[in-house]
Amino acid sequence: MKFSAKNVFGLAGSLMVGVALLGFSSQAMGADYDEDTYGPEAPIVFVKPVKAVDFSHKIHTMGAGLECDSCHDELFEMEAGATEEKGDFTMQALYDGQYCGACHDGEMAFAANTRCTVCHIGVKGFEKLNGVEEAPAHH
Amino acid sequence: MKVEDLEKLENEGLDHLPSGERRRFLQFGLSVTGVFLGGTVLSLTSAVKAHGALGGMAEIKKFPYSPHYTMVMRQNRCIDCERCKEACQETNHVPAYGYRTNILSRERSIGPDETETIFMPILCNHCNRPPCVRVCPTSATFKDKVTGIVKMDYARCIGCKTCMAACPYNARYFKEENRAIDKCNFCFDTKLLETGGKGTACSTACPAGVRVFGDLSDPGSKAYQLIHAPEKVVWVLRPETGALPNVYYMND
Repeated sequence: MKFSAKNVFGLAGSLMVGVALLGFSSQAMGADYDEDTYGPEAPIVFVKPVKAVDFSHKIHTMGAGLECDSCHDELFEMEAGATEEKGDFTMQALYDGQYCGACHDGEMAFAANTRCTVCHIGVKGFEKLNGVEEAPAHH
Repeated sequence: MKVEDLEKLENEGLDHLPSGERRRFLQFGLSVTGVFLGGTVLSLTSAVKAHGALGGMAEIKKFPYSPHYTMVMRQNRCIDCERCKEACQETNHVPAYGYRTNILSRERSIGPDETETIFMPILCNHCNRPPCVRVCPTSATFKDKVTGIVKMDYARCIGCKTCMAACPYNARYFKEENRAIDKCNFCFDTKLLETGGKGTACSTACPAGVRVFGDLSDPGSKAYQLIHAPEKVVWVLRPETGALPNVYYMND
């Protein structure tokens, strides 16, 4: 699998303690964020099968204390875009315990059939991330 | 005089509204237009029609149309994928600058440091007392006598946009291509025709089961059962206008 050096997850420097303890927002931003340890800082935005789902490495690694190999490569291939191309990246798959559903089952993390808009940012969220201004009302 | 008694009075119309009275309304911060389009002066002073805002449907003895078309929005399921909007645009030839249906979004605080996003699908509410129909000078927009769908007769429309101003739901736009107002008509001439009254383009396209299109005059329909389910809060948008909308919202 080909990946730019910046995005390769380092195994060293693991400061994480415990698993799946929540502690999102108090973490340091920017310079203190080590992409080798925590994965790419920029959000991953899935647009298939629906627009648009936001995934943050930071919340899951730095925040919840997951290791890279908690998800890679068993649940998700590291290659960008690979999961979306699989065709079975659906809510039903999640309910069956695949992909995000491996943890988002209502016990380890909130169930995949609850709190939809935490991940589903929609077309509006997608446009906001891409810096598109909301169109003024037409009259 | 009590509100109940006031409501029994007949609307005297605009001609008899003294200018002093108009000025007083302006001082309240209410536009005179709002008074006219809201229907009556009383509708602005009375809260009896706003039961919907308190969590529950306004009491209705009988739904006046058959089939009485409605749409129930299971709002918390909406993820703003906008497949509904795309399907609508394609089915009804809606240009990019306008919409027949749209998704609004807002942030709601759910804790000291936490918010959630709420997506709200909107479209024409096909009101039982449609302010747009009342103000149209050429009867280009009208309430279908059978289904209750608020329709457009494009040939009669002169493009004055008064209906756009009157609509409490911002559900109308001026379509340059045919120089007339365009709006949602529950796909009665497109998808509804195709599906034999089963669904609209948007409701069929929704992957999350947000939009439930149905017939309120049929107690067996899913839409009817959803909004009559016990212990469920059902609401409409802007009940205070007294327009009696036919699009219902709930969380499931």
